Amino acid sequence: METAIEVSDLHKSYGSIKAVNGISLTVSRGEVLGLLGANGAGKSTTIECILGIRHPDRGKISILNMDPYKERKKIFEKVGVQFQEISYQDKIKVSELCQVTSSFYKNPAEYAELLNQFGLNDKQHSYVAELSGGQKQRLFIVLSLIPKPDVVFLDELTTGLDPKARRMVWKSLTDLKKKGLTILLTSHFCDEVEVLCDRIMILKKGAVTFYGTVSEAISKSPFNQFENAYLWYADEEEENEDL
Amino acid sequence: MKTFKTLLRTELLLSFRGLDMLLFAICMPVVVTVIIGLLFDGRPAYSGASYTFFEQSFGAICTIAICAGGVMGLPLVLSEYRGRKILKRFQVTPVSPALLLVVQVTIYAIYSIASLILVYLTGKLFFKYQLQGSVLSFLGAYFLVMLSMFSIGILVGGIAPNSKIAGAIASLLYFPMLIFSGATLPYEIMPPFLQKFADLMPLTQGIKLLKTASLGLQSDNILAPFLIMLITAVACTAVSLRFFKWE
Repeated sequence: METAIEVSDLHKSYGSIKAVNGISLTVSRGEVLGLLGANGAGKSTTIECILGIRHPDRGKISILNMDPYKERKKIFEKVGVQFQEISYQDKIKVSELCQVTSSFYKNPAEYAELLNQFGLNDKQHSYVAELSGGQKQRLFIVLSLIPKPDVVFLDELTTGLDPKARRMVWKSLTDLKKKGLTILLTSHFCDEVEVLCDRIMILKKGAVTFYGTVSEAISKSPFNQFENAYLWYADEEEENEDL
Repeated sequence: MKTFKTLLRTELLLSFRGLDMLLFAICMPVVVTVIIGLLFDGRPAYSGASYTFFEQSFGAICTIAICAGGVMGLPLVLSEYRGRKILKRFQVTPVSPALLLVVQVTIYAIYSIASLILVYLTGKLFFKYQLQGSVLSFLGAYFLVMLSMFSIGILVGGIAPNSKIAGAIASLLYFPMLIFSGATLPYEIMPPFLQKFADLMPLTQGIKLLKTASLGLQSDNILAPFLIMLITAVACTAVSLRFFKWE
Protein backbone atom coordinates (compact mmCIF):
# COMPACT_ATOMS: atom_id res chain seq x y z
CA MET A 1 0.00 0.00 0.00
CA GLU A 2 1.09 3.55 -0.66
CA THR A 3 2.72 5.33 2.27
CA ALA A 4 1.25 8.65 3.41
CA ILE A 5 3.40 9.45 6.44
CA GLU A 6 6.78 8.00 7.22
CA VAL A 7 8.87 8.79 10.27
CA SER A 8 12.05 7.05 11.24
CA ASP A 9 14.07 7.40 14.41
CA LEU A 10 12.71 10.77 15.50
CA HIS A 11 14.47 12.45 18.41
CA LYS A 12 13.70 15.78 20.04
CA SER A 13 14.96 17.12 23.35
CA TYR A 14 14.17 20.31 25.23
CA GLY A 15 17.27 20.91 27.26
CA SER A 16 17.91 17.72 29.18
CA ILE A 17 14.35 16.44 28.75
CA LYS A 18 13.93 13.92 25.98
CA ALA A 19 10.46 14.77 24.66
CA VAL A 20 10.65 12.30 21.80
CA ASN A 21 13.12 9.45 21.95
CA GLY A 22 13.45 7.39 18.80
CA ILE A 23 9.97 7.16 17.33
CA SER A 24 9.40 5.46 13.97
CA LEU A 25 6.05 5.05 12.33
CA THR A 26 4.41 4.48 8.97
CA VAL A 27 0.88 5.39 7.99
CA SER A 28 -0.49 4.03 4.73
CA ARG A 29 -2.95 5.88 2.54
CA GLY A 30 -6.44 5.64 3.93
CA GLU A 31 -5.24 4.42 7.29
CA VAL A 32 -6.02 5.96 10.69
CA LEU A 33 -3.23 5.96 13.24
CA GLY A 34 -3.94 6.98 16.82
CA LEU A 35 -1.17 8.45 18.91
CA LEU A 36 -1.86 7.83 22.57
CA GLY A 37 -0.18 8.56 25.84
CA ALA A 38 -0.45 10.59 29.02
CA ASN A 39 -0.07 14.36 28.93
CA GLY A 40 3.59 15.11 28.35
CA ALA A 41 4.28 11.73 26.74
CA GLY A 42 5.43 13.46 23.55
CA LYS A 43 2.37 13.32 21.31
CA SER A 44 2.21 16.99 20.40
CA THR A 45 5.96 17.28 19.96
CA THR A 46 5.86 14.28 17.62
CA ILE A 47 3.09 15.86 15.56
CA GLU A 48 4.83 19.23 15.46
CA CYS A 49 8.06 17.62 14.29
CA ILE A 50 6.22 15.68 11.60
CA LEU A 51 4.58 18.91 10.45
CA GLY A 52 7.93 20.64 10.21
CA ILE A 53 7.14 23.42 12.67
CA ARG A 54 9.64 21.98 15.11
CA HIS A 55 13.12 20.95 14.08
CA PRO A 56 13.83 17.41 15.24
CA ASP A 57 17.30 16.73 16.64
CA ARG A 58 17.47 13.60 14.54
CA GLY A 59 15.24 11.53 12.32
CA LYS A 60 13.72 11.36 8.87
CA ILE A 61 10.23 12.52 8.09
CA SER A 62 8.15 12.49 4.96
CA ILE A 63 4.53 13.30 4.28
CA LEU A 64 3.18 12.23 0.88
CA ASN A 65 6.82 11.56 -0.04
CA MET A 66 7.80 15.17 0.61
CA ASP A 67 9.96 16.82 3.24
CA PRO A 68 7.61 18.91 5.41
CA TYR A 69 10.32 21.44 6.12
CA LYS A 70 11.51 22.04 2.58
CA GLU A 71 8.30 21.51 0.64
CA ARG A 72 5.93 23.28 3.00
CA LYS A 73 3.89 25.05 0.35
CA LYS A 74 3.26 21.89 -1.64
CA ILE A 75 2.55 19.62 1.29
CA PHE A 76 0.07 21.87 3.02
CA GLU A 77 -1.98 22.20 -0.13
CA LYS A 78 -3.02 18.60 0.64
CA VAL A 79 -2.60 18.32 4.41
CA GLY A 80 -5.04 19.63 7.01
CA VAL A 81 -4.14 20.27 10.63
CA GLN A 82 -6.17 20.78 13.76
CA PHE A 83 -4.01 21.84 16.67
CA GLN A 84 -4.77 21.10 20.26
CA GLU A 85 -4.97 24.76 21.14
CA ILE A 86 -7.61 26.61 19.20
CA SER A 87 -6.41 29.87 17.68
CA TYR A 88 -8.38 32.58 15.95
CA GLN A 89 -8.51 36.35 15.69
CA ASP A 90 -10.53 38.24 18.22
CA LYS A 91 -13.87 39.43 16.77
CA ILE A 92 -13.76 37.13 13.73
CA LYS A 93 -16.94 35.41 12.54
CA VAL A 94 -17.24 31.76 11.58
CA SER A 95 -17.86 32.51 7.90
CA GLU A 96 -14.90 34.91 7.79
CA LEU A 97 -12.52 32.40 9.32
CA CYS A 98 -13.71 29.82 6.79
CA GLN A 99 -13.34 32.25 3.88
CA VAL A 100 -9.83 33.21 4.92
CA THR A 101 -8.87 29.56 5.32
CA SER A 102 -10.39 28.70 1.93
CA SER A 103 -8.39 31.49 0.29
CA PHE A 104 -5.16 29.69 1.23
CA TYR A 105 -5.83 26.77 -1.10
CA LYS A 106 -6.00 26.36 -4.85
CA ASN A 107 -8.96 24.04 -4.75
CA PRO A 108 -10.76 24.30 -1.41
CA ALA A 109 -13.86 22.41 -0.33
CA GLU A 110 -17.19 24.21 0.05
CA TYR A 111 -16.98 25.28 3.66
CA ALA A 112 -20.76 25.67 3.95
CA GLU A 113 -21.16 21.96 3.24
CA LEU A 114 -18.58 21.05 5.85
CA LEU A 115 -20.20 23.31 8.44
CA ASN A 116 -23.47 21.58 7.69
CA GLN A 117 -21.89 18.17 8.01
CA PHE A 118 -20.54 19.08 11.45
CA GLY A 119 -23.76 20.67 12.67
CA LEU A 120 -22.61 24.27 12.46
CA ASN A 121 -24.69 25.54 9.54
CA ASP A 122 -26.65 27.98 11.71
CA LYS A 123 -23.44 29.42 13.21
CA GLN A 124 -21.98 30.97 10.04
CA HIS A 125 -22.63 34.52 11.17
CA SER A 126 -21.70 34.01 14.81
CA TYR A 127 -18.48 35.25 16.31
CA VAL A 128 -16.07 32.37 16.86
CA ALA A 129 -15.50 33.61 20.40
CA GLU A 130 -19.19 33.12 21.16
CA LEU A 131 -19.26 29.43 20.18
CA SER A 132 -19.24 26.78 22.88
CA GLY A 133 -16.08 24.74 23.41
CA GLY A 134 -17.50 21.81 21.46
CA GLN A 135 -18.63 24.02 18.59
CA LYS A 136 -15.19 25.60 18.36
CA GLN A 137 -13.63 22.15 18.31
CA ARG A 138 -15.89 21.09 15.45
CA LEU A 139 -15.18 24.34 13.59
CA PHE A 140 -11.47 23.64 13.72
CA ILE A 141 -12.02 20.15 12.38
CA VAL A 142 -13.95 21.82 9.54
CA LEU A 143 -11.00 24.17 8.92
CA SER A 144 -8.63 21.21 8.74
CA LEU A 145 -10.85 19.66 6.05
CA ILE A 146 -11.16 22.79 3.89
CA PRO A 147 -8.04 21.95 1.80
CA LYS A 148 -9.75 18.69 0.70
CA PRO A 149 -6.78 17.00 2.31
CA ASP A 150 -5.22 13.64 1.56
CA VAL A 151 -3.86 13.60 5.11
CA VAL A 152 -5.18 15.24 8.28
CA PHE A 153 -3.57 15.66 11.67
CA LEU A 154 -6.07 15.96 14.49
CA ASP A 155 -4.61 16.73 17.89
CA GLU A 156 -7.11 15.87 20.62
CA LEU A 157 -9.92 15.50 18.19
CA THR A 158 -12.98 15.37 20.42
CA THR A 159 -11.84 16.88 23.72
CA GLY A 160 -14.70 19.02 24.97
CA LEU A 161 -17.39 17.49 22.77
CA ASP A 162 -20.64 16.09 24.11
CA PRO A 163 -21.45 12.44 23.27
CA LYS A 164 -23.74 13.35 20.39
CA ALA A 165 -21.18 15.65 18.80
CA ARG A 166 -18.47 13.01 19.19
CA ARG A 167 -20.63 10.52 17.29
CA MET A 168 -21.17 13.13 14.58
CA VAL A 169 -17.43 13.69 14.26
CA TRP A 170 -16.71 9.96 14.21
CA LYS A 171 -19.26 9.40 11.47
CA SER A 172 -17.88 12.17 9.29
CA LEU A 173 -14.32 10.96 9.71
CA THR A 174 -15.28 7.36 8.99
CA ASP A 175 -16.97 8.53 5.79
CA LEU A 176 -13.89 10.49 4.78
CA LYS A 177 -11.68 7.53 5.58
CA LYS A 178 -13.73 5.38 3.20
CA LYS A 179 -12.91 7.94 0.52
CA GLY A 180 -9.20 7.41 1.20
CA LEU A 181 -8.38 10.09 3.77
CA THR A 182 -5.33 9.33 5.90
CA ILE A 183 -5.63 10.42 9.52
CA LEU A 184 -3.12 10.81 12.31
CA LEU A 185 -4.91 11.66 15.53
CA THR A 186 -4.25 11.93 19.21
CA SER A 187 -6.92 11.18 21.73
CA HIS A 188 -7.51 10.49 25.39
CA PHE A 189 -10.65 8.48 24.78
CA CYS A 190 -10.31 4.76 24.42
CA ASP A 191 -13.76 4.25 22.93
CA GLU A 192 -12.92 6.76 20.21
CA VAL A 193 -9.64 5.06 19.43
CA GLU A 194 -11.37 1.68 19.21
CA VAL A 195 -13.93 3.04 16.77
CA LEU A 196 -11.64 5.07 14.53
CA CYS A 197 -8.10 3.75 14.57
CA ASP A 198 -6.69 0.99 12.39
CA ARG A 199 -3.53 1.05 14.42
CA ILE A 200 -2.33 2.80 17.53
CA MET A 201 0.96 3.90 18.99
CA ILE A 202 1.26 4.36 22.73
CA LEU A 203 3.93 6.70 24.01
CA LYS A 204 5.43 6.94 27.44
CA LYS A 205 8.05 9.58 28.24
CA GLY A 206 8.78 10.09 24.56
CA ALA A 207 9.30 6.41 23.75
CA VAL A 208 7.05 3.85 22.09
CA THR A 209 5.58 1.25 24.46
CA PHE A 210 3.14 -0.24 21.98
CA TYR A 211 2.63 -0.07 18.22
CA GLY A 212 -0.02 -2.18 16.51
CA THR A 213 -3.77 -2.76 16.35
CA VAL A 214 -6.16 -2.33 19.26
CA SER A 215 -6.79 -6.10 19.48
CA GLU A 216 -3.04 -6.78 19.53
CA ALA A 217 -2.71 -4.25 22.32
CA ILE A 218 -5.27 -6.16 24.34
CA SER A 219 -3.89 -9.60 23.62
CA LYS A 220 -0.31 -8.63 24.49
CA SER A 221 -1.44 -7.19 27.83
CA PRO A 222 -2.73 -9.04 30.90
CA PHE A 223 -6.14 -7.43 30.39
CA ASN A 224 -9.13 -8.06 28.19
CA GLN A 225 -10.41 -4.48 27.96
CA PHE A 226 -8.66 -1.88 25.85
CA GLU A 227 -8.83 0.87 28.47
CA ASN A 228 -7.04 -1.30 31.02
CA ALA A 229 -4.51 -2.42 28.45
CA TYR A 230 -3.89 1.20 27.44
CA LEU A 231 -3.27 2.26 31.03
CA TRP A 232 -0.93 -0.67 31.44
CA TYR A 233 1.15 0.53 28.46
CA ALA A 234 0.96 4.24 29.26
CA ASP A 235 0.94 4.34 33.03
CA GLU A 236 4.09 5.82 34.47
CA GLU A 237 3.80 3.79 37.67
CA GLU A 238 4.00 0.47 35.88
CA GLU A 239 7.19 -1.14 34.76
CA ASN A 240 7.13 -2.78 31.36
CA GLU A 241 9.47 -3.36 28.52
CA ASP A 242 9.44 -1.44 25.32
CA LEU A 243 7.86 -3.48 22.61
CA MET B 1 -3.48 37.52 -4.77
CA LYS B 2 -6.79 35.88 -3.82
CA THR B 3 -5.35 35.11 -0.39
CA PHE B 4 -4.03 38.63 0.06
CA LYS B 5 -7.34 40.22 -0.86
CA THR B 6 -9.40 37.96 1.38
CA LEU B 7 -7.02 38.42 4.28
CA LEU B 8 -6.84 42.18 3.80
CA ARG B 9 -10.62 42.51 3.66
CA THR B 10 -11.13 40.34 6.74
CA GLU B 11 -8.34 41.87 8.80
CA LEU B 12 -9.49 45.37 7.91
CA LEU B 13 -13.00 44.46 9.03
CA LEU B 14 -11.62 43.06 12.29
CA SER B 15 -9.66 46.24 12.80
CA PHE B 16 -12.80 48.36 12.26
CA ARG B 17 -14.63 46.23 14.81
CA GLY B 18 -11.83 47.01 17.26
CA LEU B 19 -12.55 50.76 16.86
CA ASP B 20 -9.19 51.87 18.36
CA MET B 21 -7.63 52.75 15.05
CA LEU B 22 -10.72 54.57 13.81
CA LEU B 23 -10.44 56.66 16.94
CA PHE B 24 -6.69 57.20 17.15
CA ALA B 25 -5.74 57.25 13.47
CA ILE B 26 -8.82 58.67 11.78
CA CYS B 27 -10.76 60.85 14.26
CA MET B 28 -7.95 62.19 16.40
CA PRO B 29 -5.89 63.79 13.59
CA VAL B 30 -8.99 65.55 12.26
CA VAL B 31 -9.84 66.84 15.74
CA VAL B 32 -6.29 68.13 16.20
CA THR B 33 -6.49 69.77 12.76
CA VAL B 34 -9.66 71.58 13.76
CA ILE B 35 -8.29 72.66 17.14
CA ILE B 36 -5.03 74.00 15.70
CA GLY B 37 -6.96 75.61 12.87
CA LEU B 38 -9.29 77.39 15.26
CA LEU B 39 -6.61 78.35 17.79
CA PHE B 40 -4.16 79.81 15.30
CA ASP B 41 -6.71 80.98 12.74
CA GLY B 42 -4.75 82.46 9.85
CA ARG B 43 -1.91 83.70 12.07
CA PRO B 44 1.62 83.56 10.69
CA ALA B 45 3.96 81.00 12.24
CA TYR B 46 6.01 83.86 13.73
CA SER B 47 6.00 87.56 13.00
CA GLY B 48 7.25 88.06 9.48
CA ALA B 49 6.91 84.36 8.52
CA SER B 50 5.84 83.65 4.95
CA TYR B 51 3.59 80.80 6.10
CA THR B 52 0.87 80.40 8.72
CA PHE B 53 1.11 78.49 11.96
CA PHE B 54 -1.45 76.09 10.61
CA GLU B 55 0.54 75.43 7.46
CA GLN B 56 3.54 74.77 9.63
CA SER B 57 1.58 72.28 11.72
CA PHE B 58 0.21 70.28 8.79
CA GLY B 59 3.35 68.17 8.43
CA ALA B 60 3.13 67.27 12.11
CA ILE B 61 -0.55 66.42 12.25
CA CYS B 62 -0.36 63.99 9.38
CA THR B 63 2.04 61.81 11.37
CA ILE B 64 -0.50 61.13 14.15
CA ALA B 65 -1.98 58.19 12.24
CA ILE B 66 1.46 56.88 11.24
CA CYS B 67 2.47 56.96 14.89
CA ALA B 68 -0.74 55.25 16.05
CA GLY B 69 -0.51 52.49 13.45
CA GLY B 70 3.22 51.96 13.46
CA VAL B 71 4.09 52.25 17.09
CA MET B 72 0.83 51.10 18.70
CA GLY B 73 -1.23 49.09 16.20
CA LEU B 74 1.49 46.97 14.60
CA PRO B 75 3.27 45.83 17.78
CA LEU B 76 -0.03 44.91 19.42
CA VAL B 77 -1.45 42.96 16.51
CA LEU B 78 1.80 41.11 15.79
CA SER B 79 2.43 40.06 19.35
CA GLU B 80 -1.21 39.13 19.81
CA TYR B 81 -1.26 36.97 16.68
CA ARG B 82 1.85 35.22 17.82
CA GLY B 83 0.54 34.79 21.37
CA ARG B 84 -2.76 33.44 20.10
CA LYS B 85 -0.86 30.97 17.88
CA ILE B 86 -2.40 32.39 14.73
CA LEU B 87 1.01 32.66 13.09
CA LYS B 88 1.62 29.02 14.03
CA ARG B 89 -1.59 28.01 12.26
CA PHE B 90 -0.36 29.81 9.13
CA GLN B 91 2.77 27.66 9.22
CA VAL B 92 0.72 24.56 8.40
CA THR B 93 -0.94 26.10 5.36
CA PRO B 94 0.51 26.80 1.91
CA VAL B 95 0.60 30.48 2.90
CA SER B 96 3.54 32.03 4.67
CA PRO B 97 2.90 33.73 8.00
CA ALA B 98 4.86 36.63 6.49
CA LEU B 99 1.81 37.36 4.35
CA LEU B 100 -0.13 38.23 7.49
CA LEU B 101 2.63 40.69 8.33
CA VAL B 102 2.35 42.26 4.88
CA VAL B 103 -1.43 42.49 5.30
CA GLN B 104 -1.10 44.25 8.65
CA VAL B 105 1.44 46.72 7.29
CA THR B 106 -0.94 47.41 4.39
CA ILE B 107 -3.81 48.03 6.80
CA TYR B 108 -1.87 50.59 8.83
CA ALA B 109 -0.66 52.23 5.63
CA ILE B 110 -4.30 52.51 4.53
CA TYR B 111 -5.24 54.14 7.84
CA SER B 112 -2.31 56.57 7.53
CA ILE B 113 -3.11 57.56 3.96
CA ALA B 114 -6.83 57.91 4.74
CA SER B 115 -5.90 60.16 7.64
CA LEU B 116 -3.57 62.22 5.45
CA ILE B 117 -6.34 62.77 2.93
CA LEU B 118 -8.87 63.69 5.64
CA VAL B 119 -6.48 66.09 7.37
CA TYR B 120 -5.61 67.68 4.05
CA LEU B 121 -9.27 68.09 3.06
CA THR B 122 -10.19 69.48 6.49
CA GLY B 123 -7.34 71.98 6.24
CA LYS B 124 -8.16 72.94 2.68
CA LEU B 125 -11.92 73.29 3.14
CA PHE B 126 -12.00 75.02 6.50
CA PHE B 127 -8.63 76.67 7.02
CA LYS B 128 -7.51 77.56 3.47
CA TYR B 129 -4.57 75.18 3.67
CA GLN B 130 -2.24 74.95 0.72
CA LEU B 131 0.80 72.75 0.36
CA GLN B 132 3.60 75.18 -0.49
CA GLY B 133 6.34 72.69 -1.21
CA SER B 134 6.41 70.12 -3.96
CA VAL B 135 3.89 67.32 -3.64
CA LEU B 136 6.50 64.80 -4.63
CA SER B 137 9.06 65.68 -2.00
CA PHE B 138 6.30 65.85 0.60
CA LEU B 139 5.09 62.37 -0.30
CA GLY B 140 8.67 61.11 -0.36
CA ALA B 141 9.24 62.40 3.16
CA TYR B 142 5.84 61.07 4.25
CA PHE B 143 6.57 57.53 3.11
CA LEU B 144 10.05 57.63 4.60
CA VAL B 145 8.56 58.57 7.98
CA MET B 146 5.98 55.82 7.58
CA LEU B 147 8.67 53.26 6.75
CA SER B 148 10.70 54.32 9.73
CA MET B 149 7.81 54.29 12.24
CA PHE B 150 6.42 50.99 10.93
CA SER B 151 9.83 49.36 11.17
CA ILE B 152 9.95 50.32 14.86
CA GLY B 153 6.54 48.70 15.31
CA ILE B 154 7.51 45.50 13.52
CA LEU B 155 10.63 45.28 15.62
CA VAL B 156 8.70 45.66 18.88
CA GLY B 157 5.93 43.29 17.79
CA GLY B 158 8.38 40.81 16.32
CA ILE B 159 10.68 40.34 19.27
CA ALA B 160 8.64 41.19 22.39
CA PRO B 161 8.22 37.93 24.31
CA ASN B 162 4.48 38.40 24.81
CA SER B 163 1.66 40.81 24.09
CA LYS B 164 1.77 42.34 27.57
CA ILE B 165 5.38 43.39 27.16
CA ALA B 166 4.72 44.48 23.58
CA GLY B 167 1.83 46.61 24.86
CA ALA B 168 4.00 48.18 27.55
CA ILE B 169 6.80 49.03 25.11
CA ALA B 170 4.27 50.33 22.58
CA SER B 171 2.72 52.64 25.19
CA LEU B 172 6.15 53.82 26.24
CA LEU B 173 6.94 54.75 22.65
CA TYR B 174 3.53 55.92 21.52
CA PHE B 175 2.37 58.36 24.19
CA PRO B 176 5.59 60.37 24.56
CA MET B 177 5.94 60.56 20.79
CA LEU B 178 2.31 61.52 20.30
CA ILE B 179 2.52 64.36 22.83
CA PHE B 180 6.12 65.56 22.74
CA SER B 181 7.28 65.00 19.17
CA GLY B 182 5.11 67.83 17.92
CA ALA B 183 2.49 65.59 16.33
CA THR B 184 -0.30 66.96 18.52
CA LEU B 185 1.24 69.64 20.74
CA PRO B 186 3.09 72.00 18.36
CA TYR B 187 6.87 71.78 18.74
CA GLU B 188 7.19 75.54 18.26
CA ILE B 189 5.27 76.41 21.41
CA MET B 190 7.29 74.04 23.62
CA PRO B 191 9.84 75.54 26.00
CA PRO B 192 13.45 74.97 24.81
CA PHE B 193 14.26 72.22 27.33
CA LEU B 194 11.24 70.26 26.12
CA GLN B 195 12.31 70.79 22.52
CA LYS B 196 15.70 69.27 23.37
CA PHE B 197 13.97 66.24 24.83
CA ALA B 198 11.66 66.06 21.83
CA ASP B 199 14.62 66.09 19.44
CA LEU B 200 15.66 62.71 20.81
CA MET B 201 12.54 61.06 19.41
CA PRO B 202 12.68 59.76 15.84
CA LEU B 203 9.21 61.08 15.08
CA THR B 204 10.32 64.65 15.91
CA GLN B 205 12.99 64.32 13.24
CA GLY B 206 10.46 62.91 10.81
CA ILE B 207 8.16 65.84 11.47
CA LYS B 208 11.00 68.31 10.79
CA LEU B 209 11.45 66.62 7.45
CA LEU B 210 7.74 66.83 6.66
CA LYS B 211 7.52 70.47 7.71
CA THR B 212 10.42 71.44 5.50
CA ALA B 213 8.90 69.54 2.58
CA SER B 214 5.35 70.83 3.07
CA LEU B 215 6.44 74.44 3.47
CA GLY B 216 8.84 74.26 0.55
CA LEU B 217 11.67 75.65 2.68
CA GLN B 218 15.32 75.67 1.78
CA SER B 219 16.47 72.20 2.62
CA ASP B 220 19.86 72.65 4.24
CA ASN B 221 18.77 71.45 7.67
CA ILE B 222 17.16 68.22 6.64
CA LEU B 223 20.18 66.00 6.15
CA ALA B 224 20.30 64.97 9.81
CA PRO B 225 16.56 64.18 10.11
CA PHE B 226 16.67 62.40 6.78
CA LEU B 227 19.56 60.21 7.89
CA ILE B 228 17.94 59.51 11.25
CA MET B 229 14.77 58.30 9.52
CA LEU B 230 16.73 56.19 7.09
CA ILE B 231 18.98 54.66 9.73
CA THR B 232 16.01 53.90 11.99
CA ALA B 233 14.23 52.14 9.15
CA VAL B 234 17.26 50.12 8.05
CA ALA B 235 18.37 49.20 11.57
CA CYS B 236 14.93 48.16 12.82
CA THR B 237 14.21 46.19 9.67
CA ALA B 238 17.55 44.41 9.87
CA VAL B 239 17.10 43.48 13.53
CA SER B 240 13.52 42.34 12.85
CA LEU B 241 14.61 40.14 9.97
CA ARG B 242 17.23 38.53 12.17
CA PHE B 243 15.25 38.10 15.39
CA PHE B 244 11.57 38.04 14.39
CA LYS B 245 9.77 35.32 16.33
CA TRP B 246 6.94 33.53 14.57
CA GLU B 247 6.17 31.44 17.60
